[in-house]
Amino acid sequence: MTLSYSGRIFSLVLAATIGGYLFTSAVMILIAAILPMSRADAVITSALLSFAIYTAVIIWVFAVKNAIRAWSGLLFATLVIGGIGLLLTEWLR
Amino acid sequence: MTQTTVMENEPGRFRQAMAWLHTWGGLVASWALFAIFLTGTIGVFDDDITHWMNPERNAIGEFDPQSSTQQQRIDAVHMGEAYLREIAPQSHFWRIRLPSEMDPAITVSWEDEKAAFQQARLHPQTGQVIPAQQERATQGGHHFVHMHFEFHAGMAGIWLVGFFTMIMLVALVSGIIIHKRIFKDFFTFRPGKGQRSWLDAHNASSVLSLPFQLMIAYTGLVVFVSIYMPAGVLANYDNPQTFFAEVFNQPEHRPETGIEAEVYPLTELLLKAETQMQKPAGLINVEHPGDSSAVARVLGVFDKDKNTGRLLFLSSGTVFLDAVTGDFIHLEAPETFDKSQAFAAQRVMRTLHFANFGGYTVRWIYFILGMAGTVMMATGAILFMVKRRQRSLNEFGAQTPRIYRLIEILNISAISGLMIACVAYFWVNRLLPLEMTERASWEIKWFFYIWLGSLLHAAWRPAARAWIEQLAGFAALCLLLPVINWLTTGQHLLQFFAQADWSSVGLELTVLVFGLLGLWTVRVLLRRQKKRRATNAIYKTHTETA
Repeated sequence: MTLSYSGRIFSLVLAATIGGYLFTSAVMILIAAILPMSRADAVITSALLSFAIYTAVIIWVFAVKNAIRAWSGLLFATLVIGGIGLLLTEWLR
Repeated sequence: MTQTTVMENEPGRFRQAMAWLHTWGGLVASWALFAIFLTGTIGVFDDDITHWMNPERNAIGEFDPQSSTQQQRIDAVHMGEAYLREIAPQSHFWRIRLPSEMDPAITVSWEDEKAAFQQARLHPQTGQVIPAQQERATQGGHHFVHMHFEFHAGMAGIWLVGFFTMIMLVALVSGIIIHKRIFKDFFTFRPGKGQRSWLDAHNASSVLSLPFQLMIAYTGLVVFVSIYMPAGVLANYDNPQTFFAEVFNQPEHRPETGIEAEVYPLTELLLKAETQMQKPAGLINVEHPGDSSAVARVLGVFDKDKNTGRLLFLSSGTVFLDAVTGDFIHLEAPETFDKSQAFAAQRVMRTLHFANFGGYTVRWIYFILGMAGTVMMATGAILFMVKRRQRSLNEFGAQTPRIYRLIEILNISAISGLMIACVAYFWVNRLLPLEMTERASWEIKWFFYIWLGSLLHAAWRPAARAWIEQLAGFAALCLLLPVINWLTTGQHLLQFFAQADWSSVGLELTVLVFGLLGLWTVRVLLRRQKKRRATNAIYKTHTETA
């Protein structure tokens, strides 16, 4: 399946905004789970870092320039990191 | 292809991708970001603007915090309470703001049946609603602040602004990546060279203020971090209220019971709270008045002197009281910060964004750097078109000329059109009749109508003419503002000087400076147009004789 130029741009933008947001949320959950602070402090600290993470992910997506690679990479990382994050949140709580 | 050539090409390809991202991401966001930046920069002086926009307010009388007695505060709460019990006996929320240095009136607010916030302003002596002749109904400088963070569109606006701010962060980072000679360009400006000059202006304004731009974008996102980035809270807490209670180190929000209960006299609550805090109160909130779960929160007056130069503001003092029984619930002592450390970091970033930690010096620095950011957005958007006006890059095939025209129209109305709307907002404030119903929201509606008018004008006129006409209009509105103020209210600059009313002096002088800048820009554009016409004429005669 080949996409038109505008279709490729659109899927890249979606990967950067939505995929990037999901990935950032997953990383936040992991950071909040492992930081050696009180629960509220860890949650805030991870949230304060989140915009830097999000920026980096967006830059990465556009550097890759390939929507399928960007999406598959992001979804895989999101599931793994988010999964570990949620499990640790349960265990360490 | 060998391994080394791939490695060599890698940075070039990366930079190319970043150039694309910077150009298109920047263009798409530049109109909204220009609006966010211009209104935010003006909003640095929101209190001074509100002061200028409400000349009648001074007639209510001055408020001196030093001579405010407890009896006066009790009377003010009594009048506010009487008004609220009368107008909103069944409400989710009441608030009484006592007279202060900034505002001599009593301001009561409540949530109506439709969950909308309502507000009334009462005379500090009589407790009656202040009539229109004694007070100009206006949002004042808050209009700019609300444009800045939510486009007057509530939660949807907050998300939109966050979205564009993320694009700004990405545009800043990609801009740094594509910029090879960041320090050299710092000192480079080649005026009168068309596209090259626009690029220089864009580089200079960006590089010069880069640390500020990064800081202001990041801290702006952090202000609403709990809205934008809720993942951590959702993963760790069943109820976000538990999280906020932990962070604020305050009692958790009490859910409504549905059992009716009389509100404890607020004047009594004020007395109890002042005894607890050992300082005067400035504000009372009641959550769920009339319900058995009602809680009152009494806040101490904000002490400006104690917080000047501090990035982490200390508590002004807060007392939580049961608003049915009058029982004490919780005290947050004044001049302490007994909250979580990470929350302190968030608060510091917020203070950095709000520019309220160092008086007027800091405000002026923010104003100048904010204007540099505004110039960065504007020159970026203009550069995009200047580059393509000389030679079409044909990005959209057959549609390219039409899309370029659309971009040009949006550039004009987003930049010069918004500038007109901002200064016209001051005119509207002076021209709308005082007795008008919903006057404050009409001022804002006119702001948007005028902005829309600039869009229609830009679509109607050829681009070069539209720029000149709109900038000339802007200059005229700026330069004549003191005149219209004098004609409508009788106030003028000399009088402001004599009264040492520096807020009004500052506003009118600043607007005059912008009027002169606008005039100068118009002159430059006219001269350039004349030159171009002359060159075209020479070219034409040459080709004709040939």
